[in-house]
Amino acid sequence: MPKVIIPTPLRPFTNQQDAVELPGSNVGEVLQALTTQYAELRKHLYNDEGKLRSFVNIYLNEEDIRYLDKEKTAVKEGDTLSIVPSIAGGLAWPL
Amino acid sequence: MIRIEKEAWQTMLQHAKATYPRECCGALLGTADARGRHVVIARPMRNAYDGPQQDSYQLDPTEQLAVEKEARALGLSVVGIFHSHPDCDAYFSKRDLENSCPWYSFVVLSIKAGEFDHAKSFLPNFDQTAAEQEPLEYMV
Ligand SMILES: [Zn+2]
Repeated sequence: MPKVIIPTPLRPFTNQQDAVELPGSNVGEVLQALTTQYAELRKHLYNDEGKLRSFVNIYLNEEDIRYLDKEKTAVKEGDTLSIVPSIAGGLAWPL
Repeated sequence: MIRIEKEAWQTMLQHAKATYPRECCGALLGTADARGRHVVIARPMRNAYDGPQQDSYQLDPTEQLAVEKEARALGLSVVGIFHSHPDCDAYFSKRDLENSCPWYSFVVLSIKAGEFDHAKSFLPNFDQTAAEQEPLEYMV
């Protein structure tokens, strides 16, 4: 089964597991399985409309799925999915 | 509440001053519990922003993965992200907020004329619409 590496700040929601193996034939299915098994992860990864949050980037092995087939990207045994938040900023426009 | 150990704090200051007048960025490794976050290591990271860096920063995802891996190997967690505001106060800007993530504390260092001035830490919400300031303590 494909493996999802859990970012360290989210480990408290997976019983401290570093990585979880989950069934699924594409990225979306694996992430669904992940957030079904660990329900508290759902709000971290998905917004209220059920879409991946804007800061959540998913990497299949070394590649950003945005440049593959997004959540429909096929996965197979031995694949590794990583969750990497996109982070940037700039000092203009104080709130 | 976020508490930063002396060595980590020194690393942050050095990195912020060395990159001045450009913005710097990096990751904060440590532990978290109900009382707050405790930073033991600061890892300077590359500013991957493709443009003028005096007022912008961006993390490099490949480096983020490496830092995550390092934290894991040390039994630590990435608990925060830091970046600097050259010649500017340590507020959380609209762009900082819109490109943030609720998983971390965001420590902003104000560097004025090349020297450290002050720092603040922020906790962005899930929708990147607001960030609450959190108490910040650092050992000098
Ligand atoms: Zn900023």
